[in-house]
Amino acid sequence: MKAFLTGVATVAGQEFRLRIRAGRWRWLLGAWFVTLAAFTVLLRLALAASEGLSGGNQPYGTPMYGSLMLLVLGMGMLVVPALTAQSVNGDRERGTLATLQVTRLSAAQIAVGKLAAAWGTSLVFLALTLPLVAWSVAEGGVPFGRLAVTMLVVALLLGVVCAIAQALSALLARSTTSAVLSYLVVFALTIGTLIVFGLAAALNTERVTRTVPQPVFAEPPSPVNPTARPAPDRYEDYTYTTTVTRTDQIWWLLAPNPFVVLADAAPALPERRDPVTHQRLPSPFDPLGDIGHGVRDLRAGPQQEEVTQPLDELRPRGPPVWPYGLAVDVLLGAGALVLTTRRLRTPVRTLPRGLRVA
Amino acid sequence: MLTPVGGGGGVVVRDVRRSFGDVRAVRGMSLQAAPGEVTALVGPNGAGKTTLLLVLATLLTPDAGEVRVAGRDPVTEPDAVRARMGWSPDVFGMYDNLTAREYLEFFAAAYRLTRAAARSRATELLELARLGDYGDQPVHVLSRGQKQRLALTRALVHRPAVLLLDEPAAGLDPHSRVELRLLLRRLAAEGAAVLISSHILSDLEEMADRVVFVDQGVTVGEHHVADLPVARRRSWRIRALDRDALVAALAAAGHWHGPAGTSGQPGPSGPSGVSEPSGGSGPTGMSWVDVELESEQAAADLLARLVGAGVPVTAFAPAGGTLEAAYLELVDENAPIPPPVLYPAPPEVRP
Repeated sequence: MKAFLTGVATVAGQEFRLRIRAGRWRWLLGAWFVTLAAFTVLLRLALAASEGLSGGNQPYGTPMYGSLMLLVLGMGMLVVPALTAQSVNGDRERGTLATLQVTRLSAAQIAVGKLAAAWGTSLVFLALTLPLVAWSVAEGGVPFGRLAVTMLVVALLLGVVCAIAQALSALLARSTTSAVLSYLVVFALTIGTLIVFGLAAALNTERVTRTVPQPVFAEPPSPVNPTARPAPDRYEDYTYTTTVTRTDQIWWLLAPNPFVVLADAAPALPERRDPVTHQRLPSPFDPLGDIGHGVRDLRAGPQQEEVTQPLDELRPRGPPVWPYGLAVDVLLGAGALVLTTRRLRTPVRTLPRGLRVA
Repeated sequence: MLTPVGGGGGVVVRDVRRSFGDVRAVRGMSLQAAPGEVTALVGPNGAGKTTLLLVLATLLTPDAGEVRVAGRDPVTEPDAVRARMGWSPDVFGMYDNLTAREYLEFFAAAYRLTRAAARSRATELLELARLGDYGDQPVHVLSRGQKQRLALTRALVHRPAVLLLDEPAAGLDPHSRVELRLLLRRLAAEGAAVLISSHILSDLEEMADRVVFVDQGVTVGEHHVADLPVARRRSWRIRALDRDALVAALAAAGHWHGPAGTSGQPGPSGPSGVSEPSGGSGPTGMSWVDVELESEQAAADLLARLVGAGVPVTAFAPAGGTLEAAYLELVDENAPIPPPVLYPAPPEVRP
């Protein structure tokens, strides 16, 4: 194991050094930070401006941090394929892969080392957002547990995208092709899952006939006191037809969506109560919590009864969705890593069309 | 300093075949490269040399046949082979942003040398490649020849017992080629088995102990350089002080059939035939002519005739090396000799 890791460290160190010296990362990191900083500043101003609308006395941190992390994940998934998509076929094109393969480094060491370097690079991007994260945490409303979990999940999801982009670069001969395909995979995970879910929802919508007991009153309501109703005289079955979308059957289509995973994995905020009156305070606008709440409701499926509680105090009705989504995504990444390793293994028996060993 | 580690065994190839789809790159090659010897792999482009070296370098599996490198099977024990084998490809890339020293140290680490060992090995190899002053320069400032030398020393990082070099002399200046020759001789003297493919036949002739000819994926001959078969028919280059006298005497001997191109002007001379001569002349009137002759005896006879006719002959020697002649004979055994070409005269250097 130690020998394995030494080889991995050799490859990763080399890749990281080459990436750093290539130089183009400076502009990329700069643009990355400026974009996110501008977003955070504008968001903070917007929140302050709309304070009166939202009832006031709410921490800015919750919406700031949530939106920031969703944006970081989205932009990260745009940057990572560009950084990783030529990890293997770029080396092949430059003629530096075969000389590496004839050393005593194993295919797995090369694959894991390259992935570590790519992932490390994407974590540099994540680390660059830390000042903005610190700012939003300082605004309040971001418990430490939520901070730790969401950071970890974003890091993990970026690693998954790295692994997929790397596998594509090992499978395809040309780095432009693998870059385009990596973006298509990101698109499939983010927008594609939504589209498929939407279509599946349309196909899983059925007309149901429901019968509910309806109270029947012999007397009309008293005009003096309309709310004071006597007990109903009897109940009559009332039958009606309605459409119901069985989201409890198709919720898993949304689960691998990285935004869903991130939002649903964020631990729920603790209830806020007024220190004096001990009355429950309204929760702040919480993008992560709202998405998570939404998908858990989808998982629970259509409701039988009318909503009577105020939406604000509702607990999500379904169990968490993110463990499944994260598991699928991590399995995708692991599979991609295995595929990369197999593609790097030599001696080669069958070469794909258009590919040369050296 | 260069002493290879790991067992001997050299390279043994027995009836190896390898196809890429419909292309049968190697259709049955057998050869041996013994430890302590430099073995040259000679053949035209597309003969399967590079494919064979890729099989030996643990990168490709052969479709059939048996291969041993340093006594190990590259298919079933690639790691054992890699520990004992160094390979330098014909086309290679460099990590442009690394210095020459970092480049060598990285590969030393990839061959599991310790950090300290890697450092001292890199120093040794930089000296060996005459790149001592360039150790801290980025690789991209090196000249093509310097890169070539660096790539070659990379293959030596782990003191391999078997060295596989694909066209190592390409892009090297004459000085570097001589050094390459000396280096390979030295490695062989220290017990390494060196298998080298090259097109620069004049170098190979002095560098190699044995030559393996390959053509169209098949080994067609294995010879010690010392006893290469003497070609039956080959070119002889005759140089004389008086061109007209030379041409006249050749014509009288039946080796000149028509007017040659005038001084410096290339052009076909008469109907092309087996013994059609070709030549050129320098500005001083010194000229030379290439003549195809059937045998060494024919050459001796012609020389005697020319001298007897009073032609001021200054040189009468085989054109090209023995290896080149053998190679050309191999490549187109029965192909017609191309039409004669008047070579530009070699430049005359005046004091």
